[in-house]
Amino acid sequence: MTKEWILPKGHLSYWLRQLRNTASLIAPLRVDGDIVFKSLENIHEVSLDNPALLPSPKEFLFPQQESLFWVEDGTKVRQLYNNEKRFVFGVRSCDISALRLLDRFYLEGYEDPYYSLRRKNTVFISIVCNNPDPTCFCIGLGTGPYLEKGFDIQLTDLGDRYFVQAGNTKAIRIIRQWKFLFNKPKRVDYEDQYEVFLSSKARFQKRISLENVREYILAGKVKDSFWGSVTERCFECGGCVYECPLCTCFTVTDRVYSFGIDRVRLWDTCLFKGFTRMAGGILPNEKKILRTKRWYYHKLIHYPDVLGGFGCVGCGRCTVTCPGKIDMATIAIKLRDLQDND
Amino acid sequence: MTKTYRNIYIPERTEIKEKLYLTGDVCLFRVESERPFEYNPGQFFMVSLWGAGEVPISVASLSNKRREIEFCIRRAGKVTSAIHELQEGNFLWIRGPYGKAFPLEYAIGRDVLIVGGGIGLAPLRPVLQWGLQNKNSIKKISLLYGARTPEDIIFKEDLQEWAEKGINVVLTVDRPGDGWDGNIGLVTTLWHKAEIDFKDAVSFICGPEVMIKAAIKDLFFFGMPEERIITTLEAHMKCGVGKCGHCYNGEKYICTDGPVFTYKEIKEFNLL
Ligand SMILES: Cc1cc2nc3c(=O)[nH]c(=O)nc-3n(C[C@H](O)[C@H](O)[C@H](O)COP(=O)(O)OP(=O)(O)OC[C@H]3O[C@@H](n4cnc5c(N)ncnc54)[C@H](O)[C@@H]3O)c2cc1C
Ligand code: SF4
Ligand code: SF4
Ligand code: FES
Repeated sequence: MTKEWILPKGHLSYWLRQLRNTASLIAPLRVDGDIVFKSLENIHEVSLDNPALLPSPKEFLFPQQESLFWVEDGTKVRQLYNNEKRFVFGVRSCDISALRLLDRFYLEGYEDPYYSLRRKNTVFISIVCNNPDPTCFCIGLGTGPYLEKGFDIQLTDLGDRYFVQAGNTKAIRIIRQWKFLFNKPKRVDYEDQYEVFLSSKARFQKRISLENVREYILAGKVKDSFWGSVTERCFECGGCVYECPLCTCFTVTDRVYSFGIDRVRLWDTCLFKGFTRMAGGILPNEKKILRTKRWYYHKLIHYPDVLGGFGCVGCGRCTVTCPGKIDMATIAIKLRDLQDND
Repeated sequence: MTKTYRNIYIPERTEIKEKLYLTGDVCLFRVESERPFEYNPGQFFMVSLWGAGEVPISVASLSNKRREIEFCIRRAGKVTSAIHELQEGNFLWIRGPYGKAFPLEYAIGRDVLIVGGGIGLAPLRPVLQWGLQNKNSIKKISLLYGARTPEDIIFKEDLQEWAEKGINVVLTVDRPGDGWDGNIGLVTTLWHKAEIDFKDAVSFICGPEVMIKAAIKDLFFFGMPEERIITTLEAHMKCGVGKCGHCYNGEKYICTDGPVFTYKEIKEFNLL
């Protein structure tokens, strides 16, 4: 169910201020030349003129570090839930597409209670990308630059106004709370939105089909020697994993304080050599399955098989981050070239 | 605001009722939980000790009405060493059971071959206990068990009891000490003593990876169908519930897709 409105640009900051009065508002801010997602104090701080590539908002559902629970006196277990209501404004379509898979990952099977509660309490306001970056390749994956469904609230910048779409009843309710700010869309608004979609689609520099890459791998055409050479180029910086909206690995550790024990989970990286270390220093990873192969298999084989979509939404962040040039786009293009020469 | 949610990461309290050293570094813990747990051979629990951490440990006993669970734990590193420091009356925290169990129904009407190495006998113990309980629906049970030295053999009393109750128990050690007059060498040199019909048997295997690999290969060679060669695999685990990614090995999560796998799956998904 989708409902549409028009929001004149002049009304945006008023609307955001209203939203912030009901929940905390997280939005892109410029900090020393960098753009980061942060809780907003002053509405005028929000940065609207951003490159397509922003930090991933996964942090707001699966924080880099979080307390799972506290133990006092060795027997009293106290779970601490973050029940804060939030709006996250200015997110990209690719990240919203990623959320749809993260939801399946965290909520199906054994439900992760921390993710679940944060998800219920967070409403995402995404913005259609008028200007994809040269590294973006969502277009080949159907994960951007705009979405047909699956968003909470999606804005399209039409110059002097936003085309606003609410994708579920909760989002519709939110818009209706301040309905005096919004107008009914006219035919020209729909046409302008369509225009933006078309011109955005025409701007992509990268066209990549992960489907072909997957088929190629499944056909057994990619040798371990290929993954070996990829692995050699991995610096183990973990950059791709931290930036990727669909990387979810974590580790768990106990922090011991005089007044109790804090069991914490932290982001971890399957590309670190020690990730699979077992007692006695055995490293199954190194001898059996190369680290990078595992990363690619997880995203290209396992994710589609089990969760119904690639573990990559084409955001291009790993292309920007990876010092070894073994990011998703580069590897996909390399494998396509190999395939063409087969 | 705090809300009560069913939280998969929070373990429940159990009390150590008995602590029994089986060898120099392997200890059996019989714990009692506050509510009954139902678990099956091959499954595991995540066992916690505050401040030290959490590790996966297989169940070493059959589920019973007395809220008891037995864990057989080898001192291997940080967490397992800390657990070994605990005494009777102390608490161990557990969550589970997790993972797929051994498909015991495959044993009905067939010969059963159990192959264990070292501490690998622990997860197989409830299979043997189940076998004795269901003797009438199984043809014959053979156990081939190998340890490094005679001192490293675990569950010595059980082994004797099983032999007395009609299980064909065959033991071997790598390095015999004084007074050992039994078999010497790897378990995989003892197939002729199994006395079973390989083609119509099911095998449950657990032990060091090299042993598992060798055993699987031989049994397959003797004509045992690949879906009836069953083993349990080990991997580094942090969550046990398919979320942390540590046990993922290219195609499968060992914690939720396993840890019990058939040779058929092992081949298909490249697990060993
Ligand atoms: C399904 C399953 C069942 C198991 N059943 C038993 C059992 O019945 N008895 C027994 O003694 N041992 C068992 N193990 C092995 C046991 O979990 C490890 O020996 C233990 O995790 C080592 O932890 P540590 O902190 O003492 O060692 P360290 O080397 O200090 O390990 C640090 C961390 O690495 C991880 N880790 C290290 N080695 C292993 C490993 N082999 N397997 C999984 N995670 C590891 C753990 O998260 C651990 O906290 C089992 C392992 C698995 C996967
Ligand atoms: S793999 Fe790279 S391009 Fe794909 S979603 Fe992750 S960070 Fe973005
Ligand atoms: S990958 Fe697509 S949706 Fe993501 S930032 Fe680039 S253009 Fe926008
Ligand atoms: S142990 Fe965490 S995913 Fe398997």
